[in-house]
Amino acid sequence: MRLYVHAISSYRSDREDLDIKKELKQKCKIDLRRKEEFIYAGLLGALRLQENGDIKRESELYLTSGFGNINILAKMNEYIVEKKEHIKLFDFINMLGNTTNFYVASELGIKGKSIFEISDNFTYFHTLISIYASILKNNNEVIIGAIDLASHNPEVMKRVAGVEESVNAVSSVMYQKVSLESKNALCALEFDTKFYSKSEIETLIEKENREVVFSMRCDTENNNYFETFASCVVNDMILKAQNCLYIECYEEKYKILKVTPL
Amino acid sequence: MANILKTSILSSLGDLNSSLEAIKKSQTGISTRAIRAIEGDVEMPYYTLAKSVEDTQEGICPELKKVVAELLSGISQEDKKQTIIIIGTSIIDWHVIDAIESSNYEYKRKPYASQKRSIDSYAKDLSDEFELNGFTLTINTACTSSVNAILEASNLIDAGIYKYGVVVGLEIYSQMMSSGFYAMQLLSQSTIKPFDTQRGGTILGEAVAGVLLGTDKSEWQIKGGFSNCNGVSITAVSRDGDEFVEMMHNALKTSQISVEEITAIKAHATGTDSNDISEINAISKVFNESVIFTALKPYVGHTVGACGALEIALFMACIDDGFLPKTLNHADPILENYRPLLEQKECSSGTFMLNFFGFGGNNTSLILKKEFS
Repeated sequence: MRLYVHAISSYRSDREDLDIKKELKQKCKIDLRRKEEFIYAGLLGALRLQENGDIKRESELYLTSGFGNINILAKMNEYIVEKKEHIKLFDFINMLGNTTNFYVASELGIKGKSIFEISDNFTYFHTLISIYASILKNNNEVIIGAIDLASHNPEVMKRVAGVEESVNAVSSVMYQKVSLESKNALCALEFDTKFYSKSEIETLIEKENREVVFSMRCDTENNNYFETFASCVVNDMILKAQNCLYIECYEEKYKILKVTPL
Repeated sequence: MANILKTSILSSLGDLNSSLEAIKKSQTGISTRAIRAIEGDVEMPYYTLAKSVEDTQEGICPELKKVVAELLSGISQEDKKQTIIIIGTSIIDWHVIDAIESSNYEYKRKPYASQKRSIDSYAKDLSDEFELNGFTLTINTACTSSVNAILEASNLIDAGIYKYGVVVGLEIYSQMMSSGFYAMQLLSQSTIKPFDTQRGGTILGEAVAGVLLGTDKSEWQIKGGFSNCNGVSITAVSRDGDEFVEMMHNALKTSQISVEEITAIKAHATGTDSNDISEINAISKVFNESVIFTALKPYVGHTVGACGALEIALFMACIDDGFLPKTLNHADPILENYRPLLEQKECSSGTFMLNFFGFGGNNTSLILKKEFS
């Protein structure tokens, strides 16, 4: 399966010291009141993507994440379980999985399909596969946004992720606009449905003349962590104009993504 | 196009057979639950699963396994390796809650575990347990979650990427979700009255509902569908229903089906003020007064993320049994000459439009066809 990337946007909290809400206030068309950080993060990525290419009304929007919006659940849990209070209206709305989709779609002027989805261990890969199938059916451009927001208490994110307590939890928002059209594309993404074994991966690494990048989960030298690192690698390789073989792993299952800037 | 090969459900009326028998007798699964409100916990109507499920992550698992096991019976080990699982739900991620409580409250602290858990862990555990392909997804698009899961699975099968797709709609009681619906003043104190001038809101419910998709021969074909993100606000479309009109036209177009070919509509029909007025206005703009439409929520409640898979399974069961189910609790139409089906009607085949609308501007229409046999 091959998809072509036509526009990207990037944000990582360990690379950029940014007051996201302040940034949005200057540029965002939609009302920012009574919303919260996960939505702001999604909007930041969308605004930056918009600056890098036209978005069509019928485009489809797929947002994915390692864990969704942890902070709003912590707030709700505090109200309901600890303080025995009721839920406030806007907190409830902000808690719903697809709320960020609605505001991102509104900001981008998208009226097409809008999906919020999580896949336990290969969330970016499985989202790419479902996007590929959707494009084959509908022939639309698709916006894919990968949003991981570090929890206020970083331990929560690390517990959910099942990573070492010592890692540095990072917020990341990466967007790509993808289609089957190769003309004027920034990059080709190649992926498949196969789960590879360790020995198959070792053979592939030897065979492929590409830089190899491992997911943060299996790269013991990388002390930063967010789940949708694959999406970040795509954007980084486009900016560096460098081929790469990205390898994601979990429970001795491996997936590969070939990133080829054009 | 993908076909629907099998369904399996657990609703407030029981399993598929029990639910069908209850619908035939106009019985509902309504009971009550305590819902957190400003004034404290209030007892409200609620459609609880016939077999009570504990409000924890472990509590759901036996019911999920039961539904999925029934769907997969008869699928070979080899074909299971080409079978994916997609869950559509709006339930709270209890794995995250568990991590929050362990991290933020000393008295609830648990040992640090090095295993990733997410809302999709239910799907992953099922995939592991039944030795499926390993491709899993969990979709949350509010009330359209599981119908969107069906469309996504259908795309993956139609593209030839996978052979079978198990789609599960899942919704169980949660204080957070029910309290949120209460805060929005969307809940009825009595019954769901679809498209009625006296409608007073919806009633939430629980369900675990599964659908098996594949290209094997089946009487039930997915002809097409359309999903969009189009609302005037995060919680509603316009009262004239134009967003739903666009969705229905696009669903017909992608299915290559004309308006005249639609035998009947399964309406979303939550019984809330805003949904029902928008939906009836939209229906009247696409279909003439002779259109047959009906609602299932008065029988099983509004099962939010599960309502797609649940209502599709129930609707198919009714048609397989030879009838279109009547709409309960309707007396006075909100739009003259557009009255839902008030008596069961013989029907064992046809082309059907099944509509679902959700918060976040998510609107989805699915077109199913059952061949005359």
